[in-house]
Amino acid sequence: MEEKKPKKILIIEDEQELISSLTTLFKSQGYLTLAAYDGLYGISLAHEEKVDLVILDLGLPAGGGLYVLENLKQSVKTNSIPVLILTARQEKELEEKAYQMGVEAYLYKPFDPKELLDKIKEILK
Amino acid sequence: MNNQDRLDRDTGLKVVLQELEENPYRKFRIAFALMSIIPFLVFFYLLVSRLFTMEILASDIGVILSIAIFISVCGFFVGYSIIKNILRKIILYAVQAKHSDQLKSTFVATVSHELKNPLSAIKTNLFNIMAGLVGSVNEEQKKILQLCDNIIERMKHLVNDLLDLHKIEAGMVDVKRKLCNLLEVLEKQIKEFEAMLNKKRIKFIKDILDQDLSIWADEDKIMLVINNLLSNAIKYTPEEGLVTLKIYPADEYIKLEFLDTAQSIPSDKLEKIFDKFERLDITKEGTGLGLAITKDIVEMHKGRIWVESQSDRGNKFVVVLPRDLRETKR
Repeated sequence: MEEKKPKKILIIEDEQELISSLTTLFKSQGYLTLAAYDGLYGISLAHEEKVDLVILDLGLPAGGGLYVLENLKQSVKTNSIPVLILTARQEKELEEKAYQMGVEAYLYKPFDPKELLDKIKEILK
Repeated sequence: MNNQDRLDRDTGLKVVLQELEENPYRKFRIAFALMSIIPFLVFFYLLVSRLFTMEILASDIGVILSIAIFISVCGFFVGYSIIKNILRKIILYAVQAKHSDQLKSTFVATVSHELKNPLSAIKTNLFNIMAGLVGSVNEEQKKILQLCDNIIERMKHLVNDLLDLHKIEAGMVDVKRKLCNLLEVLEKQIKEFEAMLNKKRIKFIKDILDQDLSIWADEDKIMLVINNLLSNAIKYTPEEGLVTLKIYPADEYIKLEFLDTAQSIPSDKLEKIFDKFERLDITKEGTGLGLAITKDIVEMHKGRIWVESQSDRGNKFVVVLPRDLRETKR
């Protein structure tokens, strides 16, 4: 029987402590994780690595989150990767814009880790 | 004022003048010149009518005319200089207000980022420990961790409330009015509190007649008002108490009453209860900002909110919202 390949999640987030806690959380669920601390590095990782999901912060150095999102959605290589936004910016307009640009889910920080896991499971189903 | 401040001010002044798309100084100069022209016109009239002679100049009329011309010339320069200074002060004030708005936006962005991000990391780490992802945890340790998680939740609410209040007070929140059915908004909110009502075995009476409850309002914000008032009523009402919601629709407005059977608010606190960080019972969960936000939202809708304390037990929070204010700009 062929072994199921673990899903790969790319975290684009500038808060290192959050990346580390998310990595522990995702590993416990059998996901592989990659991390980028800024937008441009995030875009290049999304192009180089075959990732199944991008967790994206909106307040990023070197290319804000929306720029990263636009870039991912415009490129043929990355436009099918689902994106989940994790942001501290609780703004309805921004949320609507992100959904229009094609994100799968939008969570406000500080988020409920269980809710985050449920959303990821739902997206990667 | 140092050189940098002066430079910033002058640059700001230029930006505001550019945004006005016309130079108000020039307009005032023209207006003053026109206002000062009357004595010259009289002089001109006398000249063309050939009425002007040296005798006239030496007579009383001549003296009065000369004084009038002198006053008009002085008036032009003095008046223009006064108005110019006032105008400069107003424009500088606008420059400072603009700068202060930018600072407020930066404040909100900074607070959001600097507080919510570490809170997320703490919350996720707590979850990881409690779920046993980094080693086993005994029941006693779990209880302590749960306590920490509750504190994080409280901090999260406080940060969100502070940001909401700041945005409202800084005028960064618009009222996006649309026609909504208040009954639907109420039903949605009541449903959210069902578990809390059941837990405290509180009886809930909804006194709503089958009437038109349509209102032009910002649905999300009105939902927050109802949420805050219902949540307070349930939170402060003791177990097996009673919470009543009454609605009185009129042609021009809708009146909502939230009655509880909590301890009566002392009369000297009735006004203060809507102040920031004013809390009646600090043992109850809350940030002390909910009612301040509620009042701001009601006032943004040109409505009114107040509280009446019942003599024996209970309080009545009353909200009056105009039905249609589409023409009113905030």
